Amino acid sequence: MLQGLNSAAAGMAAQQQRMDAVANDLANANTTGYKHQRVGFRDLVYDQVGRSSAQGVRTGSGSAAVDAGRSFAQGVLQRTQRPLDVAIQGEGFLRVRLADGREALTRDGGLQIDGAGRLVTSAGSLLQPQITVPDGVPEDAISIGPDGTVLIDGRNAGRLDLVTVRSVQGLISVGDNAFTTSPASGPETAAPQTTVLSQGALESSNSDMAESMVAMIEAQRAFQLASKAITMADEMMGIANGVKR
Amino acid sequence: MDRGLYIAASGMLAEQIRQEQIANDLANASTAGYKADRTAQSTFGDLLLANSGSGAVVGRQSTAVQVAAIETDFTPAAARDTGEPLDFAVTGEGFFAVQTPQGVRYTRNGQFALDSQGRLVTARGDLVLGRGGAPIASRDGKVDARLIGVVNLTNPRKEGDSLVSGTPAGAATGQVRAGALEASGADAARAMVDMIASMRAFEAGQKVIQAIDDTLGRAATQVGAVSGS
Repeated sequence: MLQGLNSAAAGMAAQQQRMDAVANDLANANTTGYKHQRVGFRDLVYDQVGRSSAQGVRTGSGSAAVDAGRSFAQGVLQRTQRPLDVAIQGEGFLRVRLADGREALTRDGGLQIDGAGRLVTSAGSLLQPQITVPDGVPEDAISIGPDGTVLIDGRNAGRLDLVTVRSVQGLISVGDNAFTTSPASGPETAAPQTTVLSQGALESSNSDMAESMVAMIEAQRAFQLASKAITMADEMMGIANGVKR
Repeated sequence: MDRGLYIAASGMLAEQIRQEQIANDLANASTAGYKADRTAQSTFGDLLLANSGSGAVVGRQSTAVQVAAIETDFTPAAARDTGEPLDFAVTGEGFFAVQTPQGVRYTRNGQFALDSQGRLVTARGDLVLGRGGAPIASRDGKVDARLIGVVNLTNPRKEGDSLVSGTPAGAATGQVRAGALEASGADAARAMVDMIASMRAFEAGQKVIQAIDDTLGRAATQVGAVSGS
């Protein structure tokens, strides 16, 4: 009986984790370059049940949530006409250096110019390699080509480096729209030729409102069902207690 | 008389196991590729009652009930589109083959990813095997569904972590579909009904025990009582 309680509780905990992911997706419905979280499930070990059963009778012990990484599906491009907005079309990331010095990858192309004239992301992370805009140059004079070449007043000022990794699911999300590489993702490699930058646009979040809502309803119902199994187990324990009046 | 007590108690124990099985099904209502279980009960073995004087057979008496088996229903469930390039579902019979540290295991949960070398792996990092039994490498982050092996199994047995063990019996008829996951085989409505039925059977067992207890109590206190006291 206690095992039934624990199985159901494990199922509830797993659904809770999915709900957390859905909530995060919904909160980031307007975050530039956001990639929605994917949660999967797996069943847990099957144990031989004790007395009153034949050999080989095994019951499972519930379920657990599995982090299935992010969905790196392309988000819709939104025209902004701002010269420092770039959207990545296709697989790939911009390389940035975070405030704590770590190298990271991002798809957030809402660029800014910091106090020292360097290009930074909206979260303030320095673009790698560094690109410096000379003093007094208006934003309109900056042009960014599909391959990432930055022209300031027609002169080449550097190139936005587009990279990717072997396993995008292995990337670790560090907040601020950035991901760091991990042993599971493999090292950075050059992005494929088909990946292009488009100036004057931003990639919107790929979290789909309708899909998130459906996932939320499903998680809630599955949570409820598992809780019913707990109620039922409780009731049965009550009945067992009532054997001796 | 007291034999009835044990029979009723064995029935309650069996219902308890069924309840555990249903709780597990409900906990896995969202697990991709999960297969639901069924609890089968059987009598524990009959006693033949005979008249000790004449030897004439009186009839049979069941001694108890037990859970004979928990069978897994491996019927394919519907596939659900996810649009993710590395989600795969087997439509029809068959299992994906996976190389785990414990040996080759099988699964119908096709939520896969790539590892750092670009090979197709499960969510737990085990290599997915192709038609020839070798790992599948991807160059561009996508994998052709036709490369993934689908195997028929005899005596499949759930091992947890979405894995199944069994004896492979050649290529299966099932087709692999990309961008989809197989829904859980746990049927919420059926599980709820089973749960209620099981709970009531458990309750009935309790009532039988109480009734026998009452009878025994009366036998102990009233049969030999002096009337009027």
